[in-house]
Amino acid sequence: MKLKTFVVNAVLAALYIAVTFLIQPFGFTNIQFRLSEIFNHMVVFNKKYFFGIIIGVFLSNLFFSPMVAYDLIFGVGQSAIALLITIISAKYIRSLWTRMALNTVVFTVSMCFIALELHLALHLPFLITWLTTAIGEFVVMAVGAPIMMAINKKIPFARMI
Amino acid sequence: MKLIIGQFVPGDSIIHRMDPRAKLITVFIFVFIVFLANNPWTYGFLLAFTVLGILVSKVPFSFIYRGLKPVLFIIIFTFILNALFTRQGDVLISAGWFQLTTAGLKQAIFISIRLLAIIVVTTLLTLTTSPIAITDGLETLLKPLKKWRFPVHEFALMMSIALRFIPTLMEETEKIMKAQMARGVDFSSGSLVKRGKAIIPLLVPLFVGAFKRAEDLAMAMEARGYRGDVGRTKFRLLKWHGRDTGLLSVLAVLTAALILMRG
Repeated sequence: MKLKTFVVNAVLAALYIAVTFLIQPFGFTNIQFRLSEIFNHMVVFNKKYFFGIIIGVFLSNLFFSPMVAYDLIFGVGQSAIALLITIISAKYIRSLWTRMALNTVVFTVSMCFIALELHLALHLPFLITWLTTAIGEFVVMAVGAPIMMAINKKIPFARMI
Repeated sequence: MKLIIGQFVPGDSIIHRMDPRAKLITVFIFVFIVFLANNPWTYGFLLAFTVLGILVSKVPFSFIYRGLKPVLFIIIFTFILNALFTRQGDVLISAGWFQLTTAGLKQAIFISIRLLAIIVVTTLLTLTTSPIAITDGLETLLKPLKKWRFPVHEFALMMSIALRFIPTLMEETEKIMKAQMARGVDFSSGSLVKRGKAIIPLLVPLFVGAFKRAEDLAMAMEARGYRGDVGRTKFRLLKWHGRDTGLLSVLAVLTAALILMRG
């Protein structure tokens, strides 16, 4: 890995946590509403942001989530799988908007992993939990797409790493 | 804004002095063995292990309570849900649709104990281990993944750099937020679209600042001849002691007790 790539990813992970912390009260229950989830769209511009996002999720779950171990497995696992699906499919999709739409759908659907985690650990009903977490994720990712696109016009993400 | 990463409480208890690897292994095994408990005896063991952990760590109960506060609602919600939807056993209270049974109450208490034990034990890890020690521990534990070309060293270094920059970026975020609020930006009211638009002037300078910091740091590391983990020595060395083996032995005894006593 190039030095600049991993340093950028490290600082991005810190930024992910800083943003997560600002809205922490909504981020760690079955109502998943983390603003920093919009960072997931960064892989649409450049796949090299993968590690920054994963470490951001990893550290925020490690230090700020009450269900550390489960969140590390299910939360990081969900992010990794969803990001990899987006990265692989991006090879066949040229439009950034289409990639973002797909990324939103992938993340929304993959909330089933989080619902499964909450079902196993807390015995919460799986389908209702999936629905509530998926709604939260969909809203953040859908609102986040135009935001990240607007930021990309000022800071070309693809060339920053 | 005061942010204590991981809520680390410095101390000199035996748990504080344990190797982070031993604590990480214990926490990860514990969250799985809790599922072995299925009767009052086994749940009693889990509870005893958790209380023992708190007492030995010498962490004040107020800190533990602070860790539990954000999830208190989930614990109560889980309790009610399990109490209401388990309809076996004798009926204790019945009023129309509402029915509380012995099995429901038992299940609700068990799940709440399980949840409490998981949260307290994992909170103890971050309360008694500094973030940098956790990073060091993780780097060592993940080393076998090197065989599959997983960039373990880079991963650990990224975590260390991220931990170093969290307070800086938090401060910067707060500064920018205040500056934007002084200009009349409202982050907390209005429709989702309005709130989304309000976030852009906050995120742009944050990203610009973050990329600038990353570039400066990369340049500084390059100038100092950073070459990855080749031939690198460590300032903080992890050392395995008898107490670490002791912790894993206690965990092994707990696991055996759970297996033998479960119904």
